[in-house]
Amino acid sequence: MSIPSRTRFVNPRLGTYFGIFVSSLAGIVLLLIIFEQLGAPDIVLRWAMLLGPLALYAAVGLCVPTREPLEFFAAGRRVPAGYTGLGIATATMGATGIVAMTGIFYLIGFDVLCLVIGGLAGFVIMAVMLAPFFRKFGTFTVPSYLGRRFESRMVRLVAAALLSVPMLLLLAAELRMGAFAAGWLVGRPDSLMVVMLVFAIIVTVVVGGMRSLTWSSSAQAITAILALIVPVAIVAVMVTNFPLPQLTHGPLLRALIYSEAAQGVPIIDAPTLAFALPGEGYAAIAKRFTAPFGSVGPTAFVVAMLTVMTGVAASPWLLPRVTMTPGVYETRKSLGWATVYFGLVMLTAASIAVFMRDFVMDIVKDGGTTLPEWMRHLVALGFVQVDIGADALNIASFKFSRDTVLLSLPIAAGLPDVFTYFAAAGIVAAALVTAGTAAVALANVLAEDVINGLSWDPLPKDARLWVGRIAIAGIALIGGTIALLAPTDPLRLLLWCLAITGSTVFPVLVFSIWWKRINAFGAIAGLVCGFAVAVLTILAGEANILSFDSALAGIFGLPAGALGALLASAATPGPSRSMLELVREIRIPGGEVIYDREMRMLRLKNRDYS
Amino acid sequence: MMQRKERKPYWRHTKWQMLASVVPFLVLIIVLPLYAAGLNTERFLGFPLGYFLSAHGIAVVAVFTVASFVNRQDAIDHWHGAHEDM
Repeated sequence: MSIPSRTRFVNPRLGTYFGIFVSSLAGIVLLLIIFEQLGAPDIVLRWAMLLGPLALYAAVGLCVPTREPLEFFAAGRRVPAGYTGLGIATATMGATGIVAMTGIFYLIGFDVLCLVIGGLAGFVIMAVMLAPFFRKFGTFTVPSYLGRRFESRMVRLVAAALLSVPMLLLLAAELRMGAFAAGWLVGRPDSLMVVMLVFAIIVTVVVGGMRSLTWSSSAQAITAILALIVPVAIVAVMVTNFPLPQLTHGPLLRALIYSEAAQGVPIIDAPTLAFALPGEGYAAIAKRFTAPFGSVGPTAFVVAMLTVMTGVAASPWLLPRVTMTPGVYETRKSLGWATVYFGLVMLTAASIAVFMRDFVMDIVKDGGTTLPEWMRHLVALGFVQVDIGADALNIASFKFSRDTVLLSLPIAAGLPDVFTYFAAAGIVAAALVTAGTAAVALANVLAEDVINGLSWDPLPKDARLWVGRIAIAGIALIGGTIALLAPTDPLRLLLWCLAITGSTVFPVLVFSIWWKRINAFGAIAGLVCGFAVAVLTILAGEANILSFDSALAGIFGLPAGALGALLASAATPGPSRSMLELVREIRIPGGEVIYDREMRMLRLKNRDYS
Repeated sequence: MMQRKERKPYWRHTKWQMLASVVPFLVLIIVLPLYAAGLNTERFLGFPLGYFLSAHGIAVVAVFTVASFVNRQDAIDHWHGAHEDM
């Protein structure tokens, strides 16, 4: 029987390996539950839950070292669609997306859907308009693609410089969120945990680059999804008798709506450009769960959605991952899987929020004045502040810390403590996926497009790999330093990152495939205009000069980037004949990968290169 | 291997497929949430309909959009001989 090339290079034992990983992880969790019931010291359980999975990720990463550039920078182009989609879905918003969005779902309900829909739409746009063509080109970084596409080293350097800013923001955000969860888990300062996470990233990915990252981040993504879904599935069985919380919390939500009305939870009509997402710290439930546009106005909802969509679709930390699939068809499929996983995670976050609102509503709806045991536990942990006045408790009496809602559910449901620790380990895993992806993507940009940015020929094989490894370590350390020195809300950093990314590179990437007339001048103008306008809008928004939130910077940045590219291209000479031929080739899925052909020709010219 | 004369028809077909995939989806995700409050008076599986369609509905439509695009674009690739070598 002939085997098609789409599956020829995929390791047939991948399912076995990840089956072993999942069994090991389940073994750790079950053993710790047994030890908890036997009275083992709490601190031992906490450290074991943090270090056990970390050791597994490091083992996975260290088991796939490589000395081949194609393996180091693109995992040998043999990662199946399902695993690529898993990595992309988890790395899109990472721990910040999972943790902060669960909290925001709890606090404001419907309005956070602008970010969820934006993420889903980002995958659709990426699958249809960008990823297949990027895969056909086959470069390891977005600046490398732009530079070769426009036959301009200047485009490559400008793109590398500008895109490093959002990737550093993302890296810092994820390290902060991961350090928060790890710090809570083992009771150590967040700063120490940042250092530990940076060390974990370096150890896990430095020997195999993208190859190590791909397989270790698959393991981390599986951990993150299981840690998110398993506790809430158990709670769903307890509450609704069915382990599908994403679909079965409807009747609970209906009862919640009546309780919210009885408690006088307000229906708010926010101004059209209002964008009041809760920040870090404590806040009470602001509005009814299903009522739209109470914290985010309708216009801001659409703008935020489009900002997130463009940021996700053009993200320079996700696009390189699609070049690791065996072909263009697998690339398209991988984005389908990413949409499935991302939707699953976000609907789970929504169900967690509904369950938590229901648990809190149970306390207040009978006009009670005493706190149940689980709520006293949450208060003691610092997850909740309760304002106990002379009157009966009401919904405004409970102020949750935004980033602890996810961790509160197993406690509220009376599950063993290990489930809470497992949830924290899942947050750490999600942070490692995104931080690792951002660190390796940025390190590849540094190694390929900055250090060697003035030459189209790569460095000799060994030097190329060592520069890549040193860049990974350096970028991880820089990201850790920023996370320590700039203690900003991780969600803010994520939203700024997406706004800057979308404004800077989305128009140029789309035009580079769908509009043949764009040239190098247009690309540079689009990149610079989009970036400058987005950054200025963010600064003006933070300084309260503008009347809308800085997270909506795409409202000016995106049109500026698109107009800059269009006008500069129209005002300058058209692209060369060779550039037009290159565009025609990008558009056809068949044939040899363009970058691989370039490297093959180079190998024929000089056998020292790879 | 794709013939040279097939390039233009292939790209025209691809562009229409892109528009057919992206435009209805973009219209849906922009318009649907704006009418969620009105739809919330109806129920589906216990969920208020506006919330259900904005959360679960758009997720399902996104998956369906990508899946149908993958299927249709692969057919277009094969029709014009632009597909990857098997």
